[in-house]
Amino acid sequence: MGTLDLLQGTLDLLILKTLSWGPMHGYSVARLIRERSDGAFLIEEGALYPALHRLERQGWIESDWGLSENNRKAKFYQLTARGRAQLRAEVATWQRYTKAVAGVLEPA
Amino acid sequence: MRRIPGIRRVFRHERSRDVESDIDLELQFHIDARTDDLVRRGLGRDEARQAALVEFGDVKRYETETVRIDRGYARTTRIKELLWSVWFDFAYALRGLRRSPGFAAAAVLTLALGIGANTAVWTILDALMRQPLPIDRPDELHAVRRTDQPNEDYLNSFQRFQRLQAVMPDPQRFTAMSAYARMYATTGDQPEPVLTQLVSGNWFRALHVSASAGRVIDLDDDRALDAGAVAVLSDAYWSRRFGRDPRIVGTTIRVNGIPLRVIGVGQPGFQGLTVGSSVDLWMPLSMQHALHYIGNYSAHDADIEKAWAPQDNVQWLILLARVPPASAMRIAGALDRQVRSDLEQQVATADSLDRAYRLREHVTLQPIPRGVSPLREQFKDPLRVLMASVGLVLLIACGNLAGLLLARSSARSHEVAVRISLGARRGRLVRQVLTESLTIALLGGALGLVIARWGTAMLLRVASSGSRPVPLDVSNDVRVIAFALLVSVGTGLLVGAFPAMRVSRYGLYDAFRGAGRVMGGRSSHRLPLGRALVMSQIALSLVLVVTAGVFVRTLRNLLVIDPGYEREHVVVARIDIRAAGYDSAGLPALYDRLLGAAGAIPGVRSASLSLNALAGGGTRTSGFVVPGRTLPRGESSTAQENYVTPDYFSTIGMTILTGRGFTRADNVGAPKVAIISESMARHFFGTERVVGSRFGYGTPPEFEVVGVVKDARVNALREAAPRLVFRPLAQAPREYVTSLEVRVAGPREPVTAALRSAFHQVDPMLPLRDITPLSDLLERGLTSERLVARLAGSFGVLALLLAAIGLYGVMGYSVSRRTNEMGVRLALGASPGGVRMLVLRESLLTSAAGVVLGLALLLPVQGITGRLVYGVSPRDPATVVIGTALLIAVTAIAAFVPAWRASRIDPVDAIRSA
Repeated sequence: MGTLDLLQGTLDLLILKTLSWGPMHGYSVARLIRERSDGAFLIEEGALYPALHRLERQGWIESDWGLSENNRKAKFYQLTARGRAQLRAEVATWQRYTKAVAGVLEPA
Repeated sequence: MRRIPGIRRVFRHERSRDVESDIDLELQFHIDARTDDLVRRGLGRDEARQAALVEFGDVKRYETETVRIDRGYARTTRIKELLWSVWFDFAYALRGLRRSPGFAAAAVLTLALGIGANTAVWTILDALMRQPLPIDRPDELHAVRRTDQPNEDYLNSFQRFQRLQAVMPDPQRFTAMSAYARMYATTGDQPEPVLTQLVSGNWFRALHVSASAGRVIDLDDDRALDAGAVAVLSDAYWSRRFGRDPRIVGTTIRVNGIPLRVIGVGQPGFQGLTVGSSVDLWMPLSMQHALHYIGNYSAHDADIEKAWAPQDNVQWLILLARVPPASAMRIAGALDRQVRSDLEQQVATADSLDRAYRLREHVTLQPIPRGVSPLREQFKDPLRVLMASVGLVLLIACGNLAGLLLARSSARSHEVAVRISLGARRGRLVRQVLTESLTIALLGGALGLVIARWGTAMLLRVASSGSRPVPLDVSNDVRVIAFALLVSVGTGLLVGAFPAMRVSRYGLYDAFRGAGRVMGGRSSHRLPLGRALVMSQIALSLVLVVTAGVFVRTLRNLLVIDPGYEREHVVVARIDIRAAGYDSAGLPALYDRLLGAAGAIPGVRSASLSLNALAGGGTRTSGFVVPGRTLPRGESSTAQENYVTPDYFSTIGMTILTGRGFTRADNVGAPKVAIISESMARHFFGTERVVGSRFGYGTPPEFEVVGVVKDARVNALREAAPRLVFRPLAQAPREYVTSLEVRVAGPREPVTAALRSAFHQVDPMLPLRDITPLSDLLERGLTSERLVARLAGSFGVLALLLAAIGLYGVMGYSVSRRTNEMGVRLALGASPGGVRMLVLRESLLTSAAGVVLGLALLLPVQGITGRLVYGVSPRDPATVVIGTALLIAVTAIAAFVPAWRASRIDPVDAIRSA
């Protein structure tokens, strides 16, 4: 299986979903997305950071400096209440979207 | 002043380095963590790092992108935070004010009065001094003026107007207008006085003033003598007299008896070029003769009863040019050359003295973007002095408020201390204090605007010498609001600066110490700032009180001046026979009937007629020569002329020093006689023994002097007695008188009413301007003096009151903070009287220091008020002494209450509570 280009806006959804499992730093977010998608997405990990900061600005996630597993200073992100609501809404939209696309593509 | 610490932090910028280094750290962590992971999976470190970087992508690009997002975020956050904290401070201030409504009301009201009064005076000053005319491109408007002598109204003949117009690049941009004149318009059954101006046919177009209904005067109306029997109403007159009825256009009204067609209404807001008086009607220059127009003019060798336009020797027009400022100089040069060549021709036959005199004339173009205004000259200095006074009053009020806030902030020092110890930043506290004072000031400013609107109207009424307020356009709301806002913010910052300074200086230790009850602190209870404030308030009050005193004395001096005639028992009726269109042949008969009717009124002792009324009824000045005497170079050879009936001198109570008065025998057929004033005699003859001497307009001298009268201030109380020449009216039967005087035996009011009906019986259409007691006429000339005395007086009283309240506040506060100390003193044997003296002494020391400072401040004030005073020095010792005594007395009274309270302190209570 080859790699996929990420659809517009999907990265935000993936980040929010990943953070719904608990607070983590950017690297963890990247690693989890990579593992869960089996490396299917063709995405530069750097692109994660503008997205994280944008989401923070929108008030969906918040950040704080903390210590990583190996005692290094790292920035941890976590979902806010608004972020959780946003995630629910985006997941619902995504599911309707995929269902609709699937409905069209399925052999009649 | 010390800079208020922390105030900068409010406006600080998030340093970009913080954002960048944070993001750098975050990205670095990612790459390092990935490298570590890969190393753990068995890659070499360099190899691992390389792979991590490849996976990450362009580090620089992502970093830049992220930084940009954060910066935007930081900015909005900062603005939000600031707005939020400003709102918080504001709400906090409002809450604080609600908690002490008495204080809040007093503070807001004090500032509202101060700001309102300042705004009112400023509004008028601004409208008078700075507002441009409400016409298109007012900076292009220029007046032709003489350069060799200061002269507001430089008058020219119609002939010269046409000659000068010919040298203009565009003759239609060169225009002429007459001086204002009172005429009588008949729209109902009685002629009513209106203010009129005659203008040339291109006047409206040159000014770019259009008609809001109908049309304006144009060239065809002014092409030939009597060509345009038309009139344009001003918008104000249209509103006042016709209720803005558009049907008036096209109708006919009678002006000075002449039917004129109303052709239009001028554009709204335009009331002529003279700021402070409002023209009612404009008519073409061509109608001068038909309308019997007579306004400001000067003439020699001319017959003013004939049409003026063809006569080059009648100067009566003010010339205007509309030229771009850049080319004004060049055009002025061309005009001056034309004037010079004109003059050269005219003086060719004159003798050398006259020649030199007349050749002094040079002209230029003076920009008049704000129009002309005698009012501006009259009220410029008074308004400036009032502005300064009212500004000082506001300063004193600020002082009071600052003192109150200071005391409040001391009383709240415990709260401040707690907040500082809880980590409140000092800058934040300072800002809160300032927000509180700004809130008070802005509330005061808003209320002040309402007061100002009322105050402006009141000032315009008081400043008017007639029955209607001065027609000044004061509706420029944006500027007024901007001024009030500016003053409010300035006031708020000034008032808040004192408590802010105190808060900013608080150390934790000070705060708790001040809040506790430690005895004998060096300065915490003495409020040195508060005392300095009171001292300056007293100093400023002294300046205001003394200045007010000087102005009140000025007015009184002027009111009690002996004008050289009797003012209490004389009533003057000002009439305009010329305007009624009487033929000069019928004048003697009319005069007899008028005098007969007036003399028959019960209570009238005698009646007289005169060409020009006393006290501002117009003047006629002529040149005279005395054979065998040449006046020294530079001495004026003119005197003021009047034509009077025989009973004039006894009616108005003028004293004949030598010789005789006029009799009925001094008629047309008799030798021409004159009565002159003593200063006229001294000036022209060099002696007062002049009865029997001769003088005249030229040689041979026509008049024989038959009497000398005492000098009299016939024009205005403030104006020194001019040189006077009186001639019998009977010997100048073609002159139209403008004034009838009666001497009354009893009360004046019934005579006034009876005169009105007597005139009506003689001729119902006789234009009657007014009937006024002579004393009122004289006092009308003192409008600006009265205005200044009244307002400066009330400002002085206000200042005194404010200073007393300030002192009372500070001393009262000081006593309440020192209850404990006073208690100890009393317990240790001090007598109540001694304690009282202690407090009184302190307040007296403060007042004394203030007075000394005030006396020093009076020095520069002299220069400003010097021109406005009369018969008294701006630093009149008596006034200064009285003012000082008044101030000391008032402040002593203000200090007595706290002193008395201090002496009544119960030592036991005071010490126990410590």
